[in-house]
Amino acid sequence: MESLTNRSKPVDRRPMNLWEKIYLPAVIKGLGITLKHLFKKKATYNFPEQTRPFSPVFRGLHILNRDEEGRERCTACGLCAVACPAEAITMEAAERKPGEEHLYREEKYAARYEINMLRCIFCGFCEETCPKDAIYLTETFAPANYQRKGFIYGKEDLLIPFPEKENQPVTEKP
Amino acid sequence: MPLGLIMAKIFVDNIEYEVPDGKNLLEVCLSLGFNLTYFCWHPAMHSVGACRQCGVINFKDENDKRGRLVMSCMQAATNGTRISIEDPRARAFRAGNIEALMLNHPHDCPVCDEGGECHLQDMTVMSGHNYRRNTFKKRTHYNQYLGPFINHEMNRCIQCYRCVRFYNDYAGGKDLAVFAAHDDVYFGRQEEGVLENEFSGNLVEVCPTGVFTDKVLRKHYTRKWDLTSAPSVCHQCSLGCNILTSERYGGIRRILTRYNGDVNGYFICDRGRFGYEYTNSDQRIKQPSKNTDNSSQPLSTEDALHDVKDSIFSKKNIIGIGSPRASLESNFMLKELVGENNFYGGIPKRESDLVHRVISILHQGKVKTPSLKEVESYDAILILGEDVTNTAPMLALAVRQAAKNQPREKAYALRIPQWDDAAVRESVQGQTGPVYLLTTHHTKLDEIATKAEYAAPDDIAITGFEIVQQITRLSQSANGDESSQSFTASVARDLLKAKKPLIISGTSLYNTAIIQAAANIAYSLKDNGKDAGLVYAVPEVNSMGMSMLEQKNLDDAIGRAKEGGVDAVIIAENDLYFRVDRDIANDFLKNCHHVLVLENLQNETTTKADYILPAGTFAESTGTVVNNEGRAQRFYQVYKPSNEMRSSWDWLNEIRNSISGVHAENFDAVVDEMIKKYPELAKVKSVAPDANFRKGTQKIPRETARYSGRTAMLANINVSEPKPPVDKDSPLSFTMEGYQGVPPSPDVPFFWSPGWNSVQSINRYQTEVGGALHGGNPGVRLLEPSNENKSGYFNQSTEKFSRREGEWLVIPFYHIYGSDELSVKGPALAERIPPVYIAMNGKDLEKGNLKDGDHIEITFNQNKLSISVKSENTLPEGIAGLPKGFKETTGIEFPFWGRIRKV
Ligand code: SF4
Ligand code: SF4
Ligand code: SF4
Ligand code: SF4
Ligand code: FES
Repeated sequence: MESLTNRSKPVDRRPMNLWEKIYLPAVIKGLGITLKHLFKKKATYNFPEQTRPFSPVFRGLHILNRDEEGRERCTACGLCAVACPAEAITMEAAERKPGEEHLYREEKYAARYEINMLRCIFCGFCEETCPKDAIYLTETFAPANYQRKGFIYGKEDLLIPFPEKENQPVTEKP
Repeated sequence: MPLGLIMAKIFVDNIEYEVPDGKNLLEVCLSLGFNLTYFCWHPAMHSVGACRQCGVINFKDENDKRGRLVMSCMQAATNGTRISIEDPRARAFRAGNIEALMLNHPHDCPVCDEGGECHLQDMTVMSGHNYRRNTFKKRTHYNQYLGPFINHEMNRCIQCYRCVRFYNDYAGGKDLAVFAAHDDVYFGRQEEGVLENEFSGNLVEVCPTGVFTDKVLRKHYTRKWDLTSAPSVCHQCSLGCNILTSERYGGIRRILTRYNGDVNGYFICDRGRFGYEYTNSDQRIKQPSKNTDNSSQPLSTEDALHDVKDSIFSKKNIIGIGSPRASLESNFMLKELVGENNFYGGIPKRESDLVHRVISILHQGKVKTPSLKEVESYDAILILGEDVTNTAPMLALAVRQAAKNQPREKAYALRIPQWDDAAVRESVQGQTGPVYLLTTHHTKLDEIATKAEYAAPDDIAITGFEIVQQITRLSQSANGDESSQSFTASVARDLLKAKKPLIISGTSLYNTAIIQAAANIAYSLKDNGKDAGLVYAVPEVNSMGMSMLEQKNLDDAIGRAKEGGVDAVIIAENDLYFRVDRDIANDFLKNCHHVLVLENLQNETTTKADYILPAGTFAESTGTVVNNEGRAQRFYQVYKPSNEMRSSWDWLNEIRNSISGVHAENFDAVVDEMIKKYPELAKVKSVAPDANFRKGTQKIPRETARYSGRTAMLANINVSEPKPPVDKDSPLSFTMEGYQGVPPSPDVPFFWSPGWNSVQSINRYQTEVGGALHGGNPGVRLLEPSNENKSGYFNQSTEKFSRREGEWLVIPFYHIYGSDELSVKGPALAERIPPVYIAMNGKDLEKGNLKDGDHIEITFNQNKLSISVKSENTLPEGIAGLPKGFKETTGIEFPFWGRIRKV
């Protein structure tokens, strides 16, 4: 059969000579390689003491953003949901009532907003499509959970806290 | 009209096409499938040339290389016309026009309710304009409160004028107008307030932008692409307008017009559009239950079927009460279950007789009843005793169009093409053709009437019979009494002068003589060689269908129960307290001993039931209904509820299965059974394709291809995604998988076409713009007139109305919002119900020393009602009008004689 590339090496099938038959030189050569690696840079991280640096384009767990005044930015336009290739986003819109202007930036908002993290493939299309800069993928992993239903993230999980409650962590499952 | 089958050859971008003559270039291009942008032209309202969006290059002949820019909607497609849509200059013009319109348009799409089904979005993309260069401040407007139905966001307006043209010119509205000038035009009311017109909801579809949007939808807003929709039929009156009903998260979200070129065309009324909220009411019955006087115990479906079998079907005399708001199939299954002799229609004798009379006139009479759309083609109209605006609203809209026919002839004689709306209107100058009204009191159509007369119901009939005599007299003597100015003489004269005279009447006054008089007039016109038409409005969505199955009525059932001939009763979708007097209903249910009710909303009847089974409304059921024209139409279940609600026929089928082991496999099997028993209903089979219909191998999806959130929607209930529900009753599937092209016309669940996301995509579902849907308009007429019946005139047997001393004849007054049983249970519609009143002639009020707003007490039979009076001077003396179907007046049987006393 014709080879696909010119990089294939034919296997050497000649019988071993005496030097090869005593094995020790090969063993010593192998030990040498091991020894060399002891002084090389480590490929693993001692997680959790050490964290791995993220690439600047890393896409992790989502947040729903607020504007400068702490109002929810999302207007429940549905574009993230329709862009999502995993169909993992769903929302129900509601109308902002008079007096709620300090809570919601636009005249409609998402009364319910849910992402199924089991389905999400972290493609970031939702972030890309959002016309209101409301949804962002952060540099956090979706943490492990004991139950599958723990991966259904609602608004209370996604929405970043009010600015005044600064010390709160950004996302945390109860 | 310069219309006809003459064809014209036109050249579009150097390719030759054959198109019907007498149309404008825009419509023919759209019919040919071109993507040509437009805003102000509307297939039902034609061209005014206001938006400049439809520009194309028009060439003189094949040697003309330069051409000139024309507005395609204002140019006739005559033989030899050469245009270019793709010419770079035309493209640049259209893109530039959009850019100009966008100068002040807000950057609003994510917030805008129109987004995703916006004609402006579609046209912007189609024109190629995509980047805003203007950086200056935009003009802004105040928005108005326009009532519970319509939301106003004036900043999004692109000044196409469609709204005022529809609202004022087409629908006869008075309270929407255009104000100011230049780049600051404002479309709204003179001051904030409820939009009064009964067809205001169509602004949502007519406005190509998000200025007028559906306020009821906004309460539970969902994008078009996220809706699960099904073709349906409006259940709020007898006309059977075609609608699209849409659902998300287990609730009905909105209703849109489903174009049907034979019935409602592009529009529906506000009762139909906004009257669906009862389907989401917390009064809905969702679970079978067993009830005693003070407890209610929910049952599973199996237990319920078992219990019903044991405690209802162990009885000897079981009767069934059908309903005019249940489908043909549900009424039929009930009849099957209880047996021919034990099935009673769900309406009192009075009403039943009237509907039977109407059926026999349409069937055995010699005059055709036109479809709703055909009504628009008649050129002289007489309405007898019917307040159509309130009893059959879309019929009133059709009458308004028909009234324009005669004056328009003048414009056509001047060779103005019929699509040139501005020019036609200019020459018509607001005139209307002959429209005569003979009603009990002032109705809204009076404003377009040539003459309106008011009389007592019996006198209306008598005048009707006189009109027949006048017609005979006029036609017999060549020089008949041409001069007489009397009402009957002018009616007779104008009806005889017309090409196509139309008589409209109905059952609303519960007066058989009126119905007969209307038939006689139509017959005599026909005998005089006229292409006459006859339309009756009947009470409810399936009044005609139920009456075709019914031999006995509610009064018969009540009589039988009184004599002790009933051990158990099954009531399908019928609140008896809405039909008859409360005491009668109470007695009846008591005399029936055991009561099983299939119902969708809690009502008085269900409080008396031993067992309740949750029946689906039009949204959760599939079925066939027959409208006032005798047109059978199919409506489909929109979604699979998560609870036990299902079609009544399905429940009854299961009950039959549990007691006798006979089981119809699906909806089609029920239809088959029905037409086997009732061959006269055979055509019901061909109303829509069978459940096993496939396009290729595919079903027709109820969800759009863009449906979002499928793996997340139900995840909060159960992370494992359930198997999608299967629809064994229809060719539609509950998912988005399936055939993506144009489905058979009765099965169109939504209108969409590539590049056309808004309702304007209807163009792509029609054989030609404004014409029939591909494969013919849905619905099959069951009743056609017979030509054998040569005479068939009714005899006049009515006495003239004479008032009684101290007593008033109380007749029903109808209200579009209020007189219908179910729509009033939705909050938006309920806001529009007027406070209850009793109307009387001012002279009667004076005599009784009463004035407007005074409280009176009215006594009739054994009942008393305390109510405030309102003067209505057009109402004849001795007659009073009481709104029908209101909370305070529900169950009252009209007309009745009552005594009135001041309190
Ligand atoms: S990251 Fe991708 S898969 Fe995940 S929710 Fe957003 S769009 Fe969907
Ligand atoms: S997150 Fe952004 S894209 Fe998604 S609904 Fe909200 S505003 Fe629209
Ligand atoms: S009217 Fe159309 S284009 Fe304008 S904001 Fe609304 S969706 Fe967008
Ligand atoms: S409100 Fe709508 S229909 Fe009326 S002119 Fe403006 S864009 Fe056109
Ligand atoms: S559609 Fe032709 S000018 Fe508006």
